Amino acid sequence: MKLNIRMSAAVLAVLLAAATGCSDKATGGSGGTGKDGVKHGPGVTDTTIKLGVITDLTGPYAPLGKGLTQAEQLYVEEINKAGGICGRKLELVVRDAGYDVQKSMSAYSELQGSTLAIPQLIGSHVASALKTRINSDKVLTIPMAWSNTLLGSEYLQITGPTYDVDMINGIDWLVKTGAVKKGGTLGHIYFDNDYGASALLGTKYAADKHGLKVVEQKIKPTDTDLTNQAGALAKQKVDGILLSVGPAQSASAAGVARVAGFKGPILGSNSAYAKQLLATKAKPALLQGFYIATAGIPIQEDLPALKKIRDGYAAKFPGQPQDSAVVTGYSSGEIIGNAIKKACASKDLTREGLIKAHRSTNAFDNGQGGTLDFTYFDKPPTLQTFIVQPDEQAISGTKIVQNRTESELVKGYKVPLA
Amino acid sequence: MFESPRWVRISALVAGVALMLLVPFYADTFWMQAGLFAIAAAIGAIGLNLLTGATGQLSLGHAFFLAVGAYGYVYFASESDNHFVGLGLPTPVAAILAVLLAGLVGGIFSPIAGRLKGTYLGIATLALIFIGQHILSNAESVTGSHNGRQVPPLDLGFLVFDDSPELVVANVPLGAFERLWFLALILLVISAWVARGVLRGRPGRALNTIRDHEIAAGVMGVPVARYRAAVFVLSSMYAGLAGVILALVFRQTVPDYFGIILALDYLAMIVIGGLGTVAGAMIGAVFITLLPQVLTRYSDGLPLVAAPGSGGFSPAEAARIIYGAAVVAVVLFLPGGLFGMWTRIRLAVAARRHRAV
Repeated sequence: MKLNIRMSAAVLAVLLAAATGCSDKATGGSGGTGKDGVKHGPGVTDTTIKLGVITDLTGPYAPLGKGLTQAEQLYVEEINKAGGICGRKLELVVRDAGYDVQKSMSAYSELQGSTLAIPQLIGSHVASALKTRINSDKVLTIPMAWSNTLLGSEYLQITGPTYDVDMINGIDWLVKTGAVKKGGTLGHIYFDNDYGASALLGTKYAADKHGLKVVEQKIKPTDTDLTNQAGALAKQKVDGILLSVGPAQSASAAGVARVAGFKGPILGSNSAYAKQLLATKAKPALLQGFYIATAGIPIQEDLPALKKIRDGYAAKFPGQPQDSAVVTGYSSGEIIGNAIKKACASKDLTREGLIKAHRSTNAFDNGQGGTLDFTYFDKPPTLQTFIVQPDEQAISGTKIVQNRTESELVKGYKVPLA
Repeated sequence: MFESPRWVRISALVAGVALMLLVPFYADTFWMQAGLFAIAAAIGAIGLNLLTGATGQLSLGHAFFLAVGAYGYVYFASESDNHFVGLGLPTPVAAILAVLLAGLVGGIFSPIAGRLKGTYLGIATLALIFIGQHILSNAESVTGSHNGRQVPPLDLGFLVFDDSPELVVANVPLGAFERLWFLALILLVISAWVARGVLRGRPGRALNTIRDHEIAAGVMGVPVARYRAAVFVLSSMYAGLAGVILALVFRQTVPDYFGIILALDYLAMIVIGGLGTVAGAMIGAVFITLLPQVLTRYSDGLPLVAAPGSGGFSPAEAARIIYGAAVVAVVLFLPGGLFGMWTRIRLAVAARRHRAV
């Protein structure tokens, strides 16, 4: 036995010594400089720039993930047809994590070493879990979630106003148009997660400033029947109902509230509505007095940039719905593309060069009518929100009621950081 | 039994351990992380196998005890600040306390765990998952609610399990994952060894008798309720240890992870690997943990599997189908799980050789 242990130790030592000589890991990291004098970061070669996508194609956010990913694929294809960026083709590496934390983490572990940036990361709980690592790996990442807790990190770039900002702008609009009178009561039904928590922050702030009372109704994302909650709010005679829930819950709440005799306005966060709802029994309730506060411009708006996305998407993915995910996905590609172009100009396609280039953009304009400011990361890149309404005829399923507006109220609001 | 000679078994073990020790010097971040998930799952699954496999007590609450371990560690190790409360204890002490805490919580549940048998306990433990999810999302100052809490890296004084300070061994930089790999491996070996001891000794025989014939066990003088409660506590502690390792790998704990799906995954691990044995739990854990990750990563090269986003059969769906098919196949054809199959093959080969001689 003694001999065995000694022998084992010897075998181990020999193997360990042999191991160290020929390991890939021993090279001291990637990098180097291309033939054109551009410094290379992870995922960059003389011919390609790889970008990572951590999406959800099989989980609860599959419709969103599919729209985002396909729009990003469209963007990459168009860029490559025009010769790429910096003389290099873009390449998307898509990983389906199904909204699962562990799978997302393993996808991230793979992609952080092999791609330059991550133009799509679905799941704010995933983004929260990965935040520390994203910061230490310096990967420019676009989380596809809009809660205030994702602010405050240099490497995470939110693409629009956070849920709380949307709510403040929305409530301000309700008060300004007289739909809700000062001193009235708002009922807010929200998910018990960071989406709902973020929206509620905005509601509380706006209600406080306008002298409104708030009745809170917290629900689980798995609850789909909101009869009790919406019925209770209607019974309490609230003047307006706010919804920070999913589309299924919105349909239930709007339907129940109207049946219970609620006449006031209903305002949803941007994830509270989907065009598919107009094919359900809730349709009459949604076409009357139902509004959505959102950062996304409806895709059918008459702008050349949007027409290009519509036509390109219809040609590449015929028959597929053109919802807000398409515009958001395409824009996220453009945001990363813009950063790569700028980084290329200073001949630095490393992670450091990319974030420097990205953070130097103070008025990013992709022809959608507004601009985004990326020079800070402790507040959203814009504070402007659209108020839209369900519309059966429109491609996106919504039409604009009030164009993008930054309310006076939101100017005094400081978005709380995580 | 046709056992291999002792020296063969020992050399196989040594070679195996040596191979595992070499992994961090070669594997990239993806494999390091996948491997760490698998090791943590193996420790958790060994615990569940003691309870469900050896004693026949179904538990759906395993994910809850993983959460107790993970959040317990964070609570004990973190300092209090504006948002969160914590005890700020030295991290090794916090890790040990977290495992003990999981055992304690299991002990609190033991009046129930001792009295209910089999599937009835499964239903009762299901409640733990929902209670756990409720606590995790509402006790914000302890758990950090939906956004979770940052996990302080384990600090042994001479070695910190983090990316900095830098540590280079034989020209290979060893980051947090590589360092954790060695720790997790040691813990796995100890866990497996303890469980093996329990299963092969008197307690193991008592547990198996409880599973096979409760009345017979009672007649023979086995205190059935006490054994059931004790094995529940032990299994909770295994889950707690797995939870601590997972927390260290995650670096940020999020409540969504510790749900019903995770509990079912653990049951699938021990069924697929083999009920009632340590090796079975480990094989099942590796299989269930690595399968979806590997399929996703190498989806580009697999036949019949479409690239994500292009429509068609996605890798995640493929993983789920294989997973389901594996459970059905094991239940139908391999009563002893993957490990049982291995044992049968070995016996068959040995028997043939024996006959030939």
